[in-house]
Amino acid sequence: MMKRKTNSLFAWIIAVALFGTFSADALSAQSDGSAVASAASGLRVTLPKKDGSLKMLVFGDSGRGSKEQYELGKVMADYHQVFPYDTALLTGDNIYGTDTAADMKLKFEDVYRPLLDSGVKFYASLGNHDAPTQRFYQHFNMNGKEYYRLEKNNVAFYALNSTYLDKTQLDWMVSEIAKDTNRWKIAFFHHPPFSSGGRHGSDKDVKAMIHPVFVKHGVDVVFTGHDHFYERVKPQDGIHYFVAGAGGKIRKGDLKDRSPLTATGFDADLSFMLIEFTEDEMHFQVISRSGATVDSGMIRRKPN
Amino acid sequence: MKRISKYWALAFCMALFTLSAVGQKGFSGPDRAALADFQKRIAAYSKLRARIAGGFQKLPLKATPEQIEAHKSALQKALMASRRNARRGDILTPRAAAEIQRIISTGYVGEDRKRLRETVFEAENKTVQVRANAAYPEASELLEMPPSLLLALPKLPKELRWRFVVDRLLLIDSDALLIIDYMTKALP
Repeated sequence: MMKRKTNSLFAWIIAVALFGTFSADALSAQSDGSAVASAASGLRVTLPKKDGSLKMLVFGDSGRGSKEQYELGKVMADYHQVFPYDTALLTGDNIYGTDTAADMKLKFEDVYRPLLDSGVKFYASLGNHDAPTQRFYQHFNMNGKEYYRLEKNNVAFYALNSTYLDKTQLDWMVSEIAKDTNRWKIAFFHHPPFSSGGRHGSDKDVKAMIHPVFVKHGVDVVFTGHDHFYERVKPQDGIHYFVAGAGGKIRKGDLKDRSPLTATGFDADLSFMLIEFTEDEMHFQVISRSGATVDSGMIRRKPN
Repeated sequence: MKRISKYWALAFCMALFTLSAVGQKGFSGPDRAALADFQKRIAAYSKLRARIAGGFQKLPLKATPEQIEAHKSALQKALMASRRNARRGDILTPRAAAEIQRIISTGYVGEDRKRLRETVFEAENKTVQVRANAAYPEASELLEMPPSLLLALPKLPKELRWRFVVDRLLLIDSDALLIIDYMTKALP
C-alpha cells in the first residue's frame, strides 16, 4: 500500500499520468540521449545517467530463491540494460536458511546471473540470517571482513555488521569515518536505526550507538534493510536513511500509517533502488517488481 | 559490665553476618576474579582452536561456497572431537555465569529490559537444541546482539561471539558454528 492518504490518491494518479506525459519530452531534451534508450525499451529512468557518474543498485533481504525474487532479479537485469550500473550494495539477509553451494546458486547466483555476467560487483553487509563465513564468499566481495570500507568515485561506503556491533567494530568505524575526506560518506548495514516497520521498526540500540557518530562525522546517506519494504525516512539530523529490505519477500501492510518518520514508502510489492552519484548530488529511483517507479528524487550533499 | 559484654558480642556477630552476606552477594562490585578466570578459560579455548585451525588450509578471501562449506565442516568436526568431554559450565563456570547475570540485570532495567526481551523472543531460533560442544544449526537466525550489551559483557576474541537463544546466553565459535558453552537464565 502506498503510504498516501486515501483522499490524495486521485491527485497522485493525475500526477503520475502527467509525469508520464511530460517527462519523456523533458528527458529527450538531454544531450546524452539517455531517455531515448529508455524509451526504446519501455523502461523509464528518471536518473541523469551522466557519463562517468557512479551508478549503483541497492537492495536487501533477498536470498530466498523464491519466484518473486527471480522476478525482481529479472527487472533489475532489464534496468541494467538502460541504466548500466556496475556496483550493487546488499543490505543483509542475503542468504536465508542454509548456505550450501546449491543454496548460493539458487538464492543468489542464478537470480543475478545476467548481472554477474555483465560484471556488476556485489558488496554485501551481513544480516541476522547470514552466516559470518559468507564474508569469504567470492561474489560478496567482502574479502574476509565482516565490516569494511569501499571507495568509488570520491564516495566512501561503510559496510557494517549490525548484528554484532562490538567495541572493536565501533572503534574501527569511528577512526575511519573521522579521517575520511571523500566527497560523500555512505553507510550500509542491516538493522535500521530509523524505520516505520510494525514488525521491527527503529533499532534503538543501533541508533544510540551509531547515529551520533554519523552526525558528528558527516555521514550523508544510510541504506538498511531488515524490515521487508521500502521506506525513505525524513532526514534525521541531516542524514538521509533508507530502508531497502524488499528484495525477496514483502511484508505487506507493515509500514505504519502516519508514521512521523516516513517521507514516503512502499510495502505492496518487492522493490530495489537505483542510485547515481554526480559530484554533489545523489539521485535515486525505486522500482517495483512490476517495473513501476514508486519513488524518485535527488539529495544534495551537505557542505563540509 | 556483664550486660555491656553481651551487647558487644551481639554487635560483633551482626557485623560478621553482614560482612559474610556482602561477600556472598557481591555488594562490593564486580566479581573480578570470576571474570579473570573466565578470560583464562577463553584463552585456553583460543589456543586449542588456533592449533586446530592451523592444521587446515586458510580460506581464500574470495572462496567458492564449496570451499567455505568444507572449511566450516572440517573445523567444526575437529573442534568437537578435541573437546568431546566438554560440559556445560567448563568455560562459563557458575561463578562467571552469576557475574554475567549481574552485568546484564544491572544494565537492563525498565524499558531497556523490556526491549531486550522483545528482541530476544522475536528471533527465529527458539527451536535450537542448546548443548555444549554441539553445532549451532546454520539455518537458524543469529540474533542481533544489542551493541550496548556487547560493550558491557566481557570482551571475546574475534573467533567467539555471544548469542542469545531465548533466555540462554551462548558462547559460539563463529566460523565453526559451534556452541562451546552456555548459561541459562541470562535474561533479566
